[in-house]
Amino acid sequence: MKLLDLKQKTVEEAAALLGVDPKAAALERFAAIGLPTKKSEEYRYFQIEKLFEKAYRTLSYVPHPIEESDKIVITDGMVTHAPKGMRIYYEQCQAIDMEHFDPLYYLGHLLSPHVIKIDLDGDADVEIEHRYTQSGALINYRIVLLNQANRHSTLFESFHAEDISDTLVLYGYDIFVAPDSTLRMLKNQNMHDNRYAMVASHRFKLDQRANAVIKSFDMGEDMGLQLIKAELDRYAHIDAGHLLYLNNEAQRGTVSKIIHKGEYATSHQEAKNILDGHSRGIFDALIKVEHSAKYTKAHQNSKAILLDERAYMAAKPQLEIYIDELEASHGSTTGQLDPKQLFYLRSRGISEVEARKMLVIAFANTLIEQVKDHRHQELIKQTFDEAFYR
Amino acid sequence: MKILEIKDVHAKIGEKEILKGLNLELEPGKVHAIMGPNGAGKSTLSKTIVGHYDVEVTEGDILYKGKSILEMEPEERALEGIFLSFQHPVEIPGVNNAYFLRTALNAKRKHEGKEELNAAEFLREMKKYLEMLGMKADMISRSLNEGFSGGEKKRNEILQMLMLEPEVIILDEIDSGLDIDALRAVSEGINMMKDGKRSFLVITHYSRILDYIKPDYIHVLKDGRIIKTAGPELVAQLEEEGYESIEEEA
Repeated sequence: MKLLDLKQKTVEEAAALLGVDPKAAALERFAAIGLPTKKSEEYRYFQIEKLFEKAYRTLSYVPHPIEESDKIVITDGMVTHAPKGMRIYYEQCQAIDMEHFDPLYYLGHLLSPHVIKIDLDGDADVEIEHRYTQSGALINYRIVLLNQANRHSTLFESFHAEDISDTLVLYGYDIFVAPDSTLRMLKNQNMHDNRYAMVASHRFKLDQRANAVIKSFDMGEDMGLQLIKAELDRYAHIDAGHLLYLNNEAQRGTVSKIIHKGEYATSHQEAKNILDGHSRGIFDALIKVEHSAKYTKAHQNSKAILLDERAYMAAKPQLEIYIDELEASHGSTTGQLDPKQLFYLRSRGISEVEARKMLVIAFANTLIEQVKDHRHQELIKQTFDEAFYR
Repeated sequence: MKILEIKDVHAKIGEKEILKGLNLELEPGKVHAIMGPNGAGKSTLSKTIVGHYDVEVTEGDILYKGKSILEMEPEERALEGIFLSFQHPVEIPGVNNAYFLRTALNAKRKHEGKEELNAAEFLREMKKYLEMLGMKADMISRSLNEGFSGGEKKRNEILQMLMLEPEVIILDEIDSGLDIDALRAVSEGINMMKDGKRSFLVITHYSRILDYIKPDYIHVLKDGRIIKTAGPELVAQLEEEGYESIEEEA
């Protein structure tokens, strides 16, 4: 399958190509927005067309028997392992967001009529490992995740690709964070050697007084973009942090829209970007405060360090505000390592190479050390080291 | 033999010449104080010795134990035993103070052909010095100089000096921003380092620090040159009459 074939197709034509019901609501929306191009606002810094030009093998998604494990393992889009008692189902998605900004959110749903639904019971601490074993494939899956009111859950995501090449992964979550609950979501991903490219399109819906902590740690090379839409009801809070450590020809980053819908909701979004080689980092993030969202607090910040003159950071923090009663700020800086800091370390006998490493790691640590769980923090540090010393 | 010889050094920052033929010799085991008015070139002198990127030496030479150091990188100068206590130590969020100091100490030990210290051995040493300087134990886990008070930053400089055991110690305005207790603690740390071999270059505006660290020589720096060298009795004259009264020696 070549995704470029879906360009400028009518609903009927797209339905025929995708083999879906022409009346599917997601299809209408997909056709209306159209397949993204380099001119699409949300993909302007990411060469999405390069991924659409390739022909991918499509996979047949037949549910496997699920083996017992201490974590959920999703292999090539199907759940293969899960902890005992974990409530995981395949079912049709009942709640597709009809106002998502990303066409690939809809394409993902169209290609995955049966989503993986995970119900988190109680104060759950869950790890999801995404495994990819197929070369030249289009791996597509979507996950719906629900937690329970007044409960506090953690979801730790890791990614493992076997020795594959030229695969495209389209995946994403629809996450519903229940009232008075907390969901911590940590993404730990090191991509390299062009094993796979990834577009991850997510939707978060935070109910009243819900709290979401979303931290993504994207490291290494290759092409990967996460697109996040989050809606905040009254008194909801989102704390989003994104670390990029990129090298070689990587194109990675985050495109997000955080929408304040209810009163007194708060959002804090922070991006730390370290770019080496010829890499490109993306932080294209909008916080929108609607008329109904009085007394909002919204803060957004991006900092980038360029370690190579060929590296490029596309940082675009934005606020779109329709009310007066709020507190909001945003900012962005891009620079090199601080020469004063570098000199201070060298003046104590630390070599320039080692001093540079210390400063880069220090910059990354300001986000990594926000991860409260020590085990998760260590895993992320390990991934960072693997990418850094590679 | 002199431990450090600064010979007719001319140095500029940007296009401005700051040091204009400066000559100075440090004797082993002696405390040399550099005093001078604002803008005389005191901080530029310290930066020049340690190889700061701001400074370009256009003429002259600096010899350390008889060898020119002008072509050496800052870290090489440090490993050879030259230490600058900064006037304004920079804050480095995310770099753990103990990790930084262990890296520096092990780089020095490796340079000297000694075995590196493991974390436990290092921490034992560090705690000993923390106690000696009246520093809190949380200095181990805090980020380097981040959120430190002025006194804490200066004590942290002295902690580094004590652990790295340099041979030429440059103290740039070590007394600035210190209250009397901090000044006493910092001075005690410095005096502890006196062993008859190490040399100290105390750069200061005011004579207060010299009540605590007794100098052997006073050098007056004015307009980029040392214009007078005398014994400690010169301090009283400077206090009374100011720098204007000092005539350049022939």
